[in-house]
Amino acid sequence: MQPCWIRPCFFVPNAVLIPSAVAAFVSAVGAAAPQKKVDFNRDIRPILSEHCYHCHGPDAETRDADLRLDIEAEAKKDLGGYFALVPGKPEESEIWLRVDHDDPDEVMPPPKAKRDLTPEKKELFRRWIAEGAAYEKHWAYEKPVRAELLPSVKAQVKNEIDRFVFAKLESEGLAPSPEAAPETQLRRVSLDLTGLPPSPEELDRFLSEWKSDPEAAYTGAVDRLLKSERFGERWARPWLDLARYADSNGFQADQLRDSWAYRDWVIGALNQNMPFDRFTIEQLAGDLLPYATVEQKIATGFHRTVTCNVEAGVHPEENRVNQVVDRVNTTGTVWLGSTIECAQCHDHKYDPFSMADYYSIFAYFNNTPVEVENPSGKGVSFDFYGPKMELPLDAAKQTERASLTAKLDELKGRQKTLAAANEKDRAEWESRLLASAAKAPVWETLEIEDFSGTGGETCERLEDGSLLVKGELPKQTTYTVKAWTKVNGIRAVKIEALTHESLPDQGPGRGDRPNIIVNEIRLAAATGGGKDEPVALHGAVADFSQNNWDVGGAVDGDPKTGWAINPEFGKDHWMTVRTGGPIPANENGTLLTLALDQNYGGGRTIGRLRVSVTADEPAAPDLPEDLTAILKKPAGKRSAKDKKTLDEQFAKANPKLLALHREIAGVEKALKAVEPDTTLVMVEMDESRETHVMTRGNYLAPAEKVGARTPAALHPLDPTLPKNRLGFAKWLMDRENPLVARVTVNRWWNEIFGHGLVGTLEDFGAQGDPPSHPELLDWLAVEFMDSGWDMKHLLRLMVTSAVYRQSSRVTPELLEKDPANVLHARGPRFRMSAEMIRDNGLAVAGLLSTRMGGKPIMPYQPPGLWRQIGRNEPVWVDAKNDDRFRRGIYVVYRRAAPYPSFVNFDAPDRGSCVVKRGRTNTPLQALTLLNDPAYLEMALGFADRVLTSEPSADFGRRLDLAYRLALQRTPSDAERKQLEAVYNERLGALDEKAALELLAEPLTVVKAGFTGDRRELAAWFFLSNILLNLDETITKS
Amino acid sequence: MNAAFDFSASGLVQSRRQMFQTAGMGMGGVALQWLLARDGFGAVSGGAPNKLKDGLHHPAKAKHVIYIHLVGGASHLDLFEHKPELQKRTGQLCPDEFFVGKQLAFIRSQPTLLGTPATDQFAMNPSGQSGLRLSNLLPNLQEVADEMCFIRTLQTEQFNHAPAQMFLLTGFNRFGRPSIGSWVSYGIGSENEDLPAFVVLVTGQVLGAGNSAWGSGFLPTVHQGVEFRTQGDPVLYLSNPKGIADADRLKSVEAINALNRLRLADVGDPEIATRISQYEMAYRMQTSVPELMSIDDEPKEIHELYGTEPGKTSFANNCLLARRLVERGVRFVQLFDADWDHHGNVFGSLPKKAKDVDRPVAALIKDLRQRGLLDDTLIVWSAEFGRTPMAQGANGDGKETKAGRDHHKEAYTVWMAGGGVKKGHEHGMTDELGYKPAVDPVPMHDFNATLMHLLGIDHERLTFRYQGLNLRLTGVAGNVVKGVIA
Repeated sequence: MQPCWIRPCFFVPNAVLIPSAVAAFVSAVGAAAPQKKVDFNRDIRPILSEHCYHCHGPDAETRDADLRLDIEAEAKKDLGGYFALVPGKPEESEIWLRVDHDDPDEVMPPPKAKRDLTPEKKELFRRWIAEGAAYEKHWAYEKPVRAELLPSVKAQVKNEIDRFVFAKLESEGLAPSPEAAPETQLRRVSLDLTGLPPSPEELDRFLSEWKSDPEAAYTGAVDRLLKSERFGERWARPWLDLARYADSNGFQADQLRDSWAYRDWVIGALNQNMPFDRFTIEQLAGDLLPYATVEQKIATGFHRTVTCNVEAGVHPEENRVNQVVDRVNTTGTVWLGSTIECAQCHDHKYDPFSMADYYSIFAYFNNTPVEVENPSGKGVSFDFYGPKMELPLDAAKQTERASLTAKLDELKGRQKTLAAANEKDRAEWESRLLASAAKAPVWETLEIEDFSGTGGETCERLEDGSLLVKGELPKQTTYTVKAWTKVNGIRAVKIEALTHESLPDQGPGRGDRPNIIVNEIRLAAATGGGKDEPVALHGAVADFSQNNWDVGGAVDGDPKTGWAINPEFGKDHWMTVRTGGPIPANENGTLLTLALDQNYGGGRTIGRLRVSVTADEPAAPDLPEDLTAILKKPAGKRSAKDKKTLDEQFAKANPKLLALHREIAGVEKALKAVEPDTTLVMVEMDESRETHVMTRGNYLAPAEKVGARTPAALHPLDPTLPKNRLGFAKWLMDRENPLVARVTVNRWWNEIFGHGLVGTLEDFGAQGDPPSHPELLDWLAVEFMDSGWDMKHLLRLMVTSAVYRQSSRVTPELLEKDPANVLHARGPRFRMSAEMIRDNGLAVAGLLSTRMGGKPIMPYQPPGLWRQIGRNEPVWVDAKNDDRFRRGIYVVYRRAAPYPSFVNFDAPDRGSCVVKRGRTNTPLQALTLLNDPAYLEMALGFADRVLTSEPSADFGRRLDLAYRLALQRTPSDAERKQLEAVYNERLGALDEKAALELLAEPLTVVKAGFTGDRRELAAWFFLSNILLNLDETITKS
Repeated sequence: MNAAFDFSASGLVQSRRQMFQTAGMGMGGVALQWLLARDGFGAVSGGAPNKLKDGLHHPAKAKHVIYIHLVGGASHLDLFEHKPELQKRTGQLCPDEFFVGKQLAFIRSQPTLLGTPATDQFAMNPSGQSGLRLSNLLPNLQEVADEMCFIRTLQTEQFNHAPAQMFLLTGFNRFGRPSIGSWVSYGIGSENEDLPAFVVLVTGQVLGAGNSAWGSGFLPTVHQGVEFRTQGDPVLYLSNPKGIADADRLKSVEAINALNRLRLADVGDPEIATRISQYEMAYRMQTSVPELMSIDDEPKEIHELYGTEPGKTSFANNCLLARRLVERGVRFVQLFDADWDHHGNVFGSLPKKAKDVDRPVAALIKDLRQRGLLDDTLIVWSAEFGRTPMAQGANGDGKETKAGRDHHKEAYTVWMAGGGVKKGHEHGMTDELGYKPAVDPVPMHDFNATLMHLLGIDHERLTFRYQGLNLRLTGVAGNVVKGVIA
């Protein structure tokens, strides 16, 4: 690890940078009001921060002339007969003299810093000094207070929010927009609170209530929506972006891991409106609460979602330090809206956080175990490790598990008894094995006369009797070979998977990953050309078997198990298998038919195959080396593992034990199916680690030791709190914390209105945007705390405000004056999130499954996207059942390859904390909605729904219904005309055959109950695809 | 087919442009289609220059990049480094300073030195006028040695694949930062409004860093690399479903846009105008992308030059596609080729991999040259790190293997050709054992700063405001390596 790059945060000179729309607007407004008193926080701090702090700011390392301007006393101190700042007297202030200087050697900032001040900024600076050079604490570090008097406004208000917003509007000479139509209001608030559009029934009910009492109708709807379980699913999405929740490790390999119970915990906590302080404390330190419940431990999954690198050669300590760094930085972003990560390599350049502050927070998180380990203790291969917790089983599974465990005990007991009874056999078997270890059987290579592969492969016979398989490379296949042999009394068959230069990486597999997986081997023998008789096979042995893919699986009758050889690629491999007894032959020989099932998928099939047989004593055909070694040890010297290996071999070789062995394997497998699921949790080590400041962020360069404490510049730490994560979490949620309530309500405001009151959601420090409505932000923050950290209360305030309920129509005047709608002279209108677009489409189509929770789902995605380097797992398996219609929040999140249609709509890879997703508008989005089979399926579902619910063949009535479903309104005449023309054209163009072709896409299955006209359905399918693509359909407006 | 779209009717399309100007978002003419598309953040910094030929910050030497990444870390020592002393000392224990206190991925006990075999197959012969040495494993590239500009002393800070890939490509060893191609897209956009600015072509498995190797990090996602695939849909969701012909799709896109125009007139949100133009472009891509991806109509001599076969997935095909992409104005084409991670049996595996890439890469240089495109196009040969001059004798599970090489971060060779770099030149030199720079080390950020410089971009000035900071590709460092610029 190289330290300097971990979080580069120096100011970059002369950037191509335009301030955010919010900041630009606010400052433009400021500049437009001449001779308003200069405001330190609004006007001066940004100048100091941008132009001065780099050399005269919080970072002691880069400070020049021992002058710092971020602290008032320092800036005004005697510098030996002169002063940097003399309040009221610019001409006596060294700063002003230097800023106004002509000499390039004297002027500040120095030209080489490329931070020149504009004349406007200089003038502001001069005026500020002239007006007294008053400092104010940075607004975000002052506790929020409610304005004593709410502004009074001319416009009609519904709650306090409106007073703040309309007062500002009125001061800008703007008036609010009229209230949106009731249908629009219901659609908007349904999407905002549940992420789903209102159903036709909900719409009807709402509109009829509206007729008698619009306010009651609206607040009633809000109440219902807030109570809906869909609420938690919709609001979990932004929280899980912050929590960088994903279902995989990230980095090379990027295997899946289970922490979906944490995702479900978030959904549940939001649904029950868990107070935000408890919500915080349980996620950061639930494990440390007294008598912590299972749920509280699951909650700590928040910080176990960090990425983890398990590629070979990783250094576990470096990985751990990176994880702690991520936890600290994410915590700073989420709860403090602060870029404390800047203090990882040096004191923060702009905000009052020192390196010591950073590592003192680090110390709180520095006491969890290393999360990768080397499973074999040899080499440099690593696996994901780190604490997991078993989730409780439901009653039925508990019962099943108990009965299976009992059965297993009983079987094992019988096995033991039987083994004892077989002791004599066992001794004989061992000595036979030993004897044959010395005497290798003679193998005769079969001359294969006929080869066929179910995937259409061909083959070339090589001189050594092996077959080089060529031609098609199917994902799955079965090879069948036939050969005559004169060998009489065959006792064993040998199958070799050989390398060849023409195979990828020499093979022995044919696929890009040269593994082979032989799931099942079947042999039939026809003596002297007689009838094919199946030959029972057992006692499989191989030179090497992959973990969990033991060669025994190739003859166990289970098509899911089998023999594989990862990671021993590029080498020849063999396996042998015993026939039940000698296969008799006559003078005509025996015709052998051998079938090799290779149904793993992905082309993991044998590239070069050779088959041999032997009539020699097959007691132990080609003993693996390790078995020979064990046999040679005296019984007393064998380890427990040796004994187990021998026991297993004996069981496999002994027909009496074999049945029992298989039964045990079956029970073990069933037991695996009822094993409790697990989830990742935080666990504190008994002994704390020492924490040191890391020089330039490098963990290999520890400097002074620090203890766990909170940053000096923020509110004090209650000394009675425990000195661990729990104490830290409680400190974060202290009412004295000036940041947490503001930062949190600001994110919700952003989610509802499209941008935050503070535009930089993730940075409330000196470099962040100033709030557009500071008094409103503070009022909301205090209201949030006073309500007992009640999220639903705050959301209710926002969505019941008149500000929210305005029409979102944009007039040319508003576009000119406030393009980004910072002032809120109109209602919010912006594109939905990736997940919401999907959920909305499913709901419109009537396909949505509301089943909640559990393992992540895999709806359709184009094949071939999960093909990352590293290990064999995981594999994408398209859900064929209703799982594919479940909400987007449940779609598996794999960091190296997130769900592609989500990525196209700005979903992040969840490799790190994301506070604000982008909202782009691209051709790839158009292609997704037009052609993604998942969206085509929705279009067909939608068409089916329209035709089935409106059986009368009246186009107009059907279109009315479709519009109500998709947009909650009636189509205009122009829209009607447009779509009717398209419909008639399609209906005319589609004959029965074309309609069937259109409806035959593999994913889009016409529901079984559909009895109507297929041509109409096809034409409506076309129309539905259009409707699901409309800007309005994917926009909250 | 463009005639089918008439957007001039809507005055509001114009207002959207005005809006950008009003809001102070610097918006140039180049790549307007793509840049108009991004809207994501309150704070969107402008990027496009007004006149591209002048470069974004200074005159550009190259207009396009074809960036070839050999995933896993090609053994630069055996391909480009002539080290007789290392060959002589093969089998001797390496000096202590190569091992003691060093972070190595696989090697865990003091290793021996490993020179390139002193055989004709592996000989490193002086080539061309310049006499640059390239291995006999690369006979075709030897022919174009005079076009190449070597950096022999590139240094990285990461020794595991995924973090090193991210460090090379995003300037940061963990998730969340934009890749170099997306920075370039953000900075100067595309020249072709029907194609994305940043296109990715992959052979073999996807590298360990996954999609983040071409992700847009905190930049708006329009700047992420778009993978063009040679199997299945070339761009995800590009093909119409069965039963919907091209003419049908045109009808539906027309209907969508007609309805969106009605909506635009009604609610006035300029975002709708953007959506209309994106549907138009999506429809055009349905024709332009398959046309671009089909190499059937290339003449026979071109197929012979590259070793391409239509319909196949191969690195050679991707090289030819790269040429077709830059010909059409795509700004940044990135090729990834898997399986260069030769921990074991490096001398057995390397010849085959070298053979895979030698002919097509040489062909690319020759072909661009004969079309007059080489001066405008920068070709980069790179990897996340190099490989050790010490032998590695065991695999990840500790089992013995034939000798290979471990990951090496102290110094490795990359090269460039075309667009504004010196021809037949080498910059920097490693010590006699090829372990570390003897002169002119080039830290990773310097390398990236140089690539940006060649494109007319000042790496210190192309920044994006995120979390209160003006972040850039090169962190807080990076000096342009002037010595490689022609």
